[in-house]
Amino acid sequence: MAKSSYPTLLQGTLDLLILHVLQRGPMHGYAIAQTIHLLSDEVLKVEEGSLYPALYRLELDGAISASWGVSENNRRAKYYEITERGRKLVSEQQNTWNRLSLAVQRVLAR
Amino acid sequence: MRGLFLKLLRRRHLHRDLERELAFHREMAAAQGNPVPLGNPAVIKEQALDLWRFTFLENVWRDLVYGARSLRRSPALVVSTVLSLALGIGVNTTIFSLAVEFLFSEPSVSNSRSIVSVRLGGNSHVKPEVIEFVRQGGVFADVVGEREESFVNWNDGTQTRPIFGMVTTKNFFTALGVPMAYGRGLLPGDPDEVVVLNNHFWRKHFHSDPSIVGRSINLDGKAYTVVGVLPAQHRTLLGFGFAPDVYLPYFIEDTLLAIYARLKPGMSIDKARAGVTLVAKRLDTVLPEPYFKYGTSCEVKPVSGFARIKKQREALALGLFFLMLQIVLGLVLLIACANVASLLLARAASRRQEIAVRLSLGASRRRLVQQLMVESLLLSTVGAGFGLALAHIVATLLTRIRFPLPFPLRLQFSLDWRVATYATCLAIIATVVCGLLPAWQSVRESIASQSKREPKLRLRRALVMAQVATSVIVLVTGSLFLRNLLKANSISPGFDVRHTLRAEAHLPPARYEDQQSKDRYVDQILHELAAVPGIEGVAAARILPFTDQATRGQGLKFPDTGQNVHASFSWNAVTPEYFRAMSIPVLQGRSFLISDDGENNVAIVNQEFVKRYLANQRAVGRVFLWGPDGNTPCQIVGVVGNTKTLTIGEDDRPQLYEPLAQINDDRTRIQFVMKSTLPPVMQLDPVRGVLRRVEPAAGTEVATLFSSIGLAFLPSQVGAALLGSAGVLGLLLATIGLYGVMVYSVERRTREIGLRVAVGAGQRNILRMVLFDSLKITAMGSALGLCVALVATRPLALFLVQGLKPADPLTFGIVAVILGLTGVIAAWGPVRRALAIDPMSALRHE
Repeated sequence: MAKSSYPTLLQGTLDLLILHVLQRGPMHGYAIAQTIHLLSDEVLKVEEGSLYPALYRLELDGAISASWGVSENNRRAKYYEITERGRKLVSEQQNTWNRLSLAVQRVLAR
Repeated sequence: MRGLFLKLLRRRHLHRDLERELAFHREMAAAQGNPVPLGNPAVIKEQALDLWRFTFLENVWRDLVYGARSLRRSPALVVSTVLSLALGIGVNTTIFSLAVEFLFSEPSVSNSRSIVSVRLGGNSHVKPEVIEFVRQGGVFADVVGEREESFVNWNDGTQTRPIFGMVTTKNFFTALGVPMAYGRGLLPGDPDEVVVLNNHFWRKHFHSDPSIVGRSINLDGKAYTVVGVLPAQHRTLLGFGFAPDVYLPYFIEDTLLAIYARLKPGMSIDKARAGVTLVAKRLDTVLPEPYFKYGTSCEVKPVSGFARIKKQREALALGLFFLMLQIVLGLVLLIACANVASLLLARAASRRQEIAVRLSLGASRRRLVQQLMVESLLLSTVGAGFGLALAHIVATLLTRIRFPLPFPLRLQFSLDWRVATYATCLAIIATVVCGLLPAWQSVRESIASQSKREPKLRLRRALVMAQVATSVIVLVTGSLFLRNLLKANSISPGFDVRHTLRAEAHLPPARYEDQQSKDRYVDQILHELAAVPGIEGVAAARILPFTDQATRGQGLKFPDTGQNVHASFSWNAVTPEYFRAMSIPVLQGRSFLISDDGENNVAIVNQEFVKRYLANQRAVGRVFLWGPDGNTPCQIVGVVGNTKTLTIGEDDRPQLYEPLAQINDDRTRIQFVMKSTLPPVMQLDPVRGVLRRVEPAAGTEVATLFSSIGLAFLPSQVGAALLGSAGVLGLLLATIGLYGVMVYSVERRTREIGLRVAVGAGQRNILRMVLFDSLKITAMGSALGLCVALVATRPLALFLVQGLKPADPLTFGIVAVILGLTGVIAAWGPVRRALAIDPMSALRHE
């Protein structure tokens, strides 16, 4: 694997980020990646190599649904939308994440 | 499942979607001045589509195409592997279909699971009145009777010959629901003169002419109307391929019939037994029998499926034999698989580079193993296909064989779902056994290939060693059975088979109802046959050894000592010349005389009888009491040598002979034996002429005793033929495997051998080096195999003749020598190749 200057995402957190971002409304894949990039103050960079498999997985899970639409620059693009199941999932995962990161911080603080 | 199916249909669609989506992503990234994201688009696609699961199926398909293509480039490999597997799977499937036919074939009746065979008071056959009584007893839904071995004389217009008839009650076809090909079965309202033809009899003698139904044929001098023809795949209740020529309603007085019944729906075997016992107890008061009681022991047994095998002793023994055969042939298949695995290992070694490239391009190991496994699946599927074809051919040939049996046997093989399933399972097992090891090995070695190590031969050598060991086990089994055959052939049956003829006459029952007419016939035949030149000693007998057997268990009371023994012996009734005609030695006392005609009861016993029941004491002159009342005196007048009764391998049994004139013979089938000073074959026609002249209406059969005792040798012959060929096949496959490894090893060591020659090694050294290598593998494999065989062949004692133990030192010695020779033969080609290596070109090798 090529070394990158960006920190790699922890396993499983990408799903949470995608779902969280999608709560703002339907988005296509590129927009999801960009939003995560911007919201993280350009720290996190989602590569398409992990983004699309994750999107496909979430779609199969029923956490998001997909449909073809027209993008802002008039191109056909696939838009992803969070489902009811996805919303439930996001709150659950957020709780878990909060507890985990708090615990990690506590350990590192001592 | 439905989802998967839909996804498959939408596969192309999804593929296009993903491609478009990725293209869009890149376009956007480029437009916004972001660098083109890292990542291999092919891998992304694969990963994303993996989620949709059909990648697996797609991969299998792609591997199949790829495998077929790459296999096409190595036809030698394909031919040798497919041949090995086809042989292995073919023989296994053949024996399996034989076992299915013998053990699991369903009789041709409706709902065969509800049919049971019934025995009352320990009797296999009872009077028709008894069957009618049980039927009216109401325990069963219906009750029928059949007499399996009855002969009728069929006159086809030119000659009379005995044919095998099945005598049944008239409700037989309707109660059992026997399917017919033409016409109908017997009906309860039919007259006595009706007949149903078996399919093969109809095909052979009436040229498959359906218009025979309604016409009449001449049986026992009367015209019988043919009412129907059975279909070709008809199977009798008795099973084992038993196939009588015709079916007739019972007509002879006192014919005894076996009882079969259909259980009422939901009725258990135990309940049926309890019910029929009550009926039998009532029977004992209504139709009492002097010698036994119907109600004492009643049995109810299923006639098909697993239940039959558990209950029937013959079926169980046969089942065990098939199980052993199947195990041995399974080992042969393993040897064949090891050959294929060995070849695939060699192939994998030569494909190291290809695999290393694919691994470094990012293919997962699982994916590569899968691809290699698909290749072996391809090979074993083709192998199984050829194997099935082979099994079909062998089975068809087997059905044509006329077995030397005294009753008609017609095997019907069908490659049904059971056989097909079995072959499929074998193919899958073969795939795993052949493919997994080479696939794993090649993937593992390719990872380590950076070190440029030569792939080790260790695995292949171990494989060949295991192969040799397995073939030792198979070979030991095979040669044990060959030794068994030799031993069986050398056992004397106790009488002369080479100078003896036998003849059989089936008298028309209508004209020979009373004893006197039969006696007159026998006397005349004996008289006329004795006058034939070259014939010395003619006798009539109730039973001829190896064709039939009657065991009697009876209480014998000896008034002189007050001793009371319960004796179980083979019984026979013969005329005075019998012992001379059969060359059975009279050891003490005398043979029967014409004057032994029933006035004073006499008997002759054999040595075994004296040993077992008379404590080896004086036998001649002693009197015992027996008979229906247990009080009829009978004097022993002679002691004769032991003879075998049914099979050559059996233990000696006690035997007791009575004069034929002393008993009341209810049969119209009369057998004769005669000794000839000329070769017996030359006497066939003169004897036939005499029989025809004396009673033209009788069906007759004349043969040499040698040709008609085939039954006795059949088990040991069949065993030797089957297991001997299995052993040879196994050895052949192992030799090929050993040869392959030796060739490969010499090829790999070309440089080394060249170097050795260059520094002064002589031909002798090289020869020794290669030969010893081969012998080392053989020796280690054989030692291992012999040790295992010593333990594993122990249960075979069940099938061997007396005096031959599975741990037979001679057998093991022979096998060891054969294997040593195999090691030399397999090394022969490689040795010559090694000797031909030119040091100069060898050093430039690679």
